Amino acid sequence: MNKLLILVKREIVERLSQKGFWYMLVLGPLIVLIGLFAILKAADQGKQDIKVLIADPGQIMAHRLMAQEEKNVHYYFIDDYLELPEFQNAKAYREFDVLLELNEKVLNNKKCFVFYRDQLGLDARIQIKFQVERRLEELIAAKYSNLTEQSFREIKQGIIFDFRDLKDPKNESKEANAWVGFIMGAFVLFFVGLYGMTIFRATLREKSSRIVEVLMASVRPQQLMLSKIIGIGLVAVLQMFGWIVILGLGFEILQQTVFVDIFDPSNWDASGPQRLNPLSELVFEQLNFSFLIVHFLLFFIASFLFFGALFSVLGARSNADSDGQQFLLPLLFLIGFGIFSGIYAIYFPESSLTGFLSYLPFSSPVIALIELSKGVTFSAYIELLLSLLILIACAFVLLRLAANWYRKSILRF
Amino acid sequence: MIQFAEVSKSYQQKLVLDAVCMEIPRGEIFGLLGPNGAGKTTLIRILNQILVADAGHIFLDNEPINRLHLKQIGYLPEERGLYKSMNVGAHLLFLAQLRGLSRSEALSNVTRWLKHFEIYDWKNKPIATLSKGMAQKVQFIASLVHEPKLLILDEPLSGFDPLNVDLILNEIKALKQKGTTIILSTHNMKSVDEVCDRVALLNKGKILVQDSVQHLRRNHSKGLIFVRFKGNMVGFANALWTDFTLLDQKEVEEGVFECTLQIRGSHTLNDLMRSLQDHVSIQHLSEILPSMQEVFVDMITQKVSENE
Repeated sequence: MNKLLILVKREIVERLSQKGFWYMLVLGPLIVLIGLFAILKAADQGKQDIKVLIADPGQIMAHRLMAQEEKNVHYYFIDDYLELPEFQNAKAYREFDVLLELNEKVLNNKKCFVFYRDQLGLDARIQIKFQVERRLEELIAAKYSNLTEQSFREIKQGIIFDFRDLKDPKNESKEANAWVGFIMGAFVLFFVGLYGMTIFRATLREKSSRIVEVLMASVRPQQLMLSKIIGIGLVAVLQMFGWIVILGLGFEILQQTVFVDIFDPSNWDASGPQRLNPLSELVFEQLNFSFLIVHFLLFFIASFLFFGALFSVLGARSNADSDGQQFLLPLLFLIGFGIFSGIYAIYFPESSLTGFLSYLPFSSPVIALIELSKGVTFSAYIELLLSLLILIACAFVLLRLAANWYRKSILRF
Repeated sequence: MIQFAEVSKSYQQKLVLDAVCMEIPRGEIFGLLGPNGAGKTTLIRILNQILVADAGHIFLDNEPINRLHLKQIGYLPEERGLYKSMNVGAHLLFLAQLRGLSRSEALSNVTRWLKHFEIYDWKNKPIATLSKGMAQKVQFIASLVHEPKLLILDEPLSGFDPLNVDLILNEIKALKQKGTTIILSTHNMKSVDEVCDRVALLNKGKILVQDSVQHLRRNHSKGLIFVRFKGNMVGFANALWTDFTLLDQKEVEEGVFECTLQIRGSHTLNDLMRSLQDHVSIQHLSEILPSMQEVFVDMITQKVSENE
């Protein structure tokens, strides 16, 4: 068997035989689910009253909504167009939090815009969408088909509700989506940091136990270093996969039991949306999730190679745990820097610094995932692939350099 | 045959090996001796291809040494360690596979060597539970589990109790009988006396001498002679005349004496026998050769005083 494979296999077996791995695999996502459940429950209880003004110049909705309205969302109608500056500034409209524009052709083009003064919670967005969409579908079903309202919903083409900030009516920021990308990017760097520390400790342990000299009489230092990065990286991927499966199952269970999906027609009974699922709204309606996951994995692998090489060199240079901790600090700082640069990119997406950070290997995974979650044009996607290529190229250059440093350092006891 | 041709190595501009030339014939036990910091470990690491020489070459059977030769080399480093989380059998299997054995070959060799050392029941023992001596034995097996043609042992006896020292020395001799070439780097001069055919003495990166153990000891002889005789001590002393100096004397039983003499000038053992034969009855007479320990100290101190 190839020596690298033998080394990788040993790394994997060692990690999988540790109880900590299995605890982290199961407890980690469970803690996330419990936290998420708590946040959503708290959000449900902290609902504020929201006044929605529906501008319906064609009087399509005829001042009517479905019978069951959520108590915290109140709807008002105006039978005319309303210019945004007027809605924003006129004293008569200041009491309204949201303006929903229904153009006269909404039954055909199936798109309407929703402008809000202050950031709307997901729950409120879904309430508004649910109420208006049901009423419109009732009208479409009556006007264009002989189907019952229920049958029509099962084959319907959804109506697009484009939520926009009054201060950003062209919707240039896409902040909510950006935060999802940020969380994914931070997740990448979190796992890279977590398992990078494992690479560091494993290298240091091999060095301090002196087994390294026996190994290096059989394998090249590059193979030894790569085996750590690949073996531990595969364990990290396995754990992430486990997290995704457990979180996915957890979401599914929450969806089926606590936060029932309003987009599933089978849940549409006369009582209306008693329980909603904001997660499915975000994940399945607003984001191209599978596209994101593919890029998430690509950036994870590239970042792991990049940071893994750095962690292994630090392990090789250190002689004791305490000695290593001081070397680790700058590296952990760089990971922190990557995460914070993501926050900067959300608030200042067009700044030249963000452009620079998007190509810097320390920050590019987070910024790329933020951009992807907001949705990218073809040219922006090419730039993003370029940042991935730079990251991969840097990872390989670093691996080469690191192997040399590793060889020089590992036998200095 | 292993040849070192002008092998040099520096660490941060400090010359550690200075054009080392050395030849180790096949099937010999070769002692690599030298004080701490002489460059022995560096030389061994270069031979194991852990380090690369700055200059010079190493040839194994007239071929420049390369990574393919690693399968033929076994190495027990001075600083040794094992993965504490693995068990004995799995660890040996892992190291044997890294040396190029297939899984089945490795499995069969591991089983054979564990049985040979009568420790087969340790197979499933975690390394973490082994005593230092037990771990040393496992490490010794790890160095020869792939049955190398060249075995490099750096301080193989450290950490062993006297019983296990004998066990390891006997194993080294047995391996030589099977045709294995062994390089033994040690400060344990008794073991050098006991098992080495030839030695090289390395000091400050230079080979001071390489020769057979017997030659070295003879060359460093101080002309000391041990004599046991029956007779009169006064007669014995008179017979020595001025050609031999009496250094030590002891009556071991009634009328039987053991003495240490030193030869003066160019006299020989035969001269001594001729001088004594008419005066006392000689029971034993032999030249006292210096131990390797004495040769070692002698050479290093001589080198130091030369430099001063």
